[in-house]
Amino acid sequence: MKNRGQNLFIATFLGPPLLLYAVFVLMPAVNAFRYSLTRWDGLGSASWVGLANFRAILASGSEFLPAIGHNLFLTFVPGVGILSLALFFAYSIHQRIRGGRLYRVAFFFPNVISGVAVALLWVLIYSTSDVGLLNGLLKLMGHTDPIPFTESGRLLWAIVPMSIWSGTGFFMVLFLAAMENIPETYYEAAKLDGASSAVQFRSITLPLMWDVLTTGIVFLVVGGLKFFDAVYVMENGRPSGSTHTMSTLMYSKVFQEYNVGYGTAISVMLFLLVLAATAASLRLMRRERLEY
Amino acid sequence: MAPAGGSRTRADWPARLAGSARWLFLTAYLVAVVFPMCWVFYTSAKTTQQIYKSPFGLPKVITAPGRANAEPLVRNYRKAWTGSHFGQYFVNSLIVVSVSLVGVVLLGSMAAYVLARFEFRGRNAAYFLFLCGLLIPMQLVLIPLFFQFSDMGEGLTHLLAPAARAMGLGNLTVSLHDSHAGLILIYIAFSLAFTVFTLTSFFRTLPGELREAAMIDGAGEYRIFFSVMMPLGKPGIVTIAIFNFLGLWNEYLFGLVFLSSDKLKTLPLGLASISMQAQYKSDFGLLFAALVISMAPTILVYIILQEKLTRGITVGALKG
Repeated sequence: MKNRGQNLFIATFLGPPLLLYAVFVLMPAVNAFRYSLTRWDGLGSASWVGLANFRAILASGSEFLPAIGHNLFLTFVPGVGILSLALFFAYSIHQRIRGGRLYRVAFFFPNVISGVAVALLWVLIYSTSDVGLLNGLLKLMGHTDPIPFTESGRLLWAIVPMSIWSGTGFFMVLFLAAMENIPETYYEAAKLDGASSAVQFRSITLPLMWDVLTTGIVFLVVGGLKFFDAVYVMENGRPSGSTHTMSTLMYSKVFQEYNVGYGTAISVMLFLLVLAATAASLRLMRRERLEY
Repeated sequence: MAPAGGSRTRADWPARLAGSARWLFLTAYLVAVVFPMCWVFYTSAKTTQQIYKSPFGLPKVITAPGRANAEPLVRNYRKAWTGSHFGQYFVNSLIVVSVSLVGVVLLGSMAAYVLARFEFRGRNAAYFLFLCGLLIPMQLVLIPLFFQFSDMGEGLTHLLAPAARAMGLGNLTVSLHDSHAGLILIYIAFSLAFTVFTLTSFFRTLPGELREAAMIDGAGEYRIFFSVMMPLGKPGIVTIAIFNFLGLWNEYLFGLVFLSSDKLKTLPLGLASISMQAQYKSDFGLLFAALVISMAPTILVYIILQEKLTRGITVGALKG
């Protein structure tokens, strides 16, 4: 009797969330694979085309390969800056420098703002009109012609400082939390041996926060692979071949060109890349893990 | 480190130089982070002409406070709030995000509690299904969901209509396309994986004796959950709620695909559409005011809940 009551309890508590999750996440995720094997305009009936969509997106001259390139650019170019700045800031604050709390609170600030607002803020910073903060600064320095930072040919480079500006705080907080977990005694022992601050960082801090550093890299790569908001907004909803990321290309193929199968094939590739990146870093993490 | 007893000797100068260089760099970065934000706030109090004339200058309302000089500020915000519907977008965001948050916190803690605290057949399978969700990017789900939404609406109508009739609510039809209800269901479902994952490990850390004690006192499973476990789980629940609040308040792509009528748009959608439409491109007073309206809520939450929020946003990473 009691057991039946408990089973009913489990069913009423687990049932609704699991059903919602299955219907709105798992089922469409599985269906994506089916869609990617068809040609469909979203209205009529779909025709089965096997792997034709994948052959098309991977063929030379397709828009997909440059789009992956743009994603990788938007992952690694700002990524190097984000990781090194975040490590530097976290380590500085960890060493109890004066004003550490202020830096921590301020540097994290941009992370709470939406991607769209960040993009618009930087559109205004980069603006070629008199409003533009950056062109205004250049003018003060004697540079008269405003530079169109956000035109297609330059846009990806223009996004680099924006990504660093908006992303660094998160990783700083993450790394700082990891550093605070390292027992103080290691540093004390190292200091007794006369190890410099740089040596301590290299031989204590870095190895002992390796797990978190790898997790950070996974976040960075997965975020870079999914990149959408800023490119879409800064290109006014119509990115060109020289700025498309996988997500914006997928969006425009499906919702602007009604090529559903092709667009879904892109999303499947995106999923596989996310999976591969995560698996690779988990392996790296396992191999290098230090017990302490 | 200076040796004990040795005051600042010449040997110290590289270290001091490095210290000063670091201070200089940190301060420069501080300015780079904070100044653009301040710039947006104070520029929203200037007319477009004033912005053109001196893009960096402070607005008159700051240099010479007074009713007359506050006029551009009032006009910009009024134009954004009513003329460009940011008041509507704000209310829409508030509705969508708060209902989603209640849903995801409630459903997420229910599932997590059961998965953390009970032994039953299929438990590992259910947990594994939720774990899979951590790896599924929204892009994969987006397209099939969009095209299945009409079927799902009909399905839900079939499911709910008899109950609605029985309760005397008349004929109920559920339409998920271009509706807040549809977006809320997606937001809840999509936030569940991470919420369940985090809360399951949190509920595992709570002492089991409390449940037994409550049972001896004659409390049923439901009472135990709502009056013992939920209050105990508050720290974990608050953290995950903040995490979801930020993610959902700032969400753009799902909204872009699933909401099309202007009166339903959330803040990121409204902001993106005025920043992409040429007719607004030169009305800078309006743009800056709209930007402030969109950023203010999360910034305010950050200022109030700063410690909890940073913990919330990094919670998954340190656990994983």
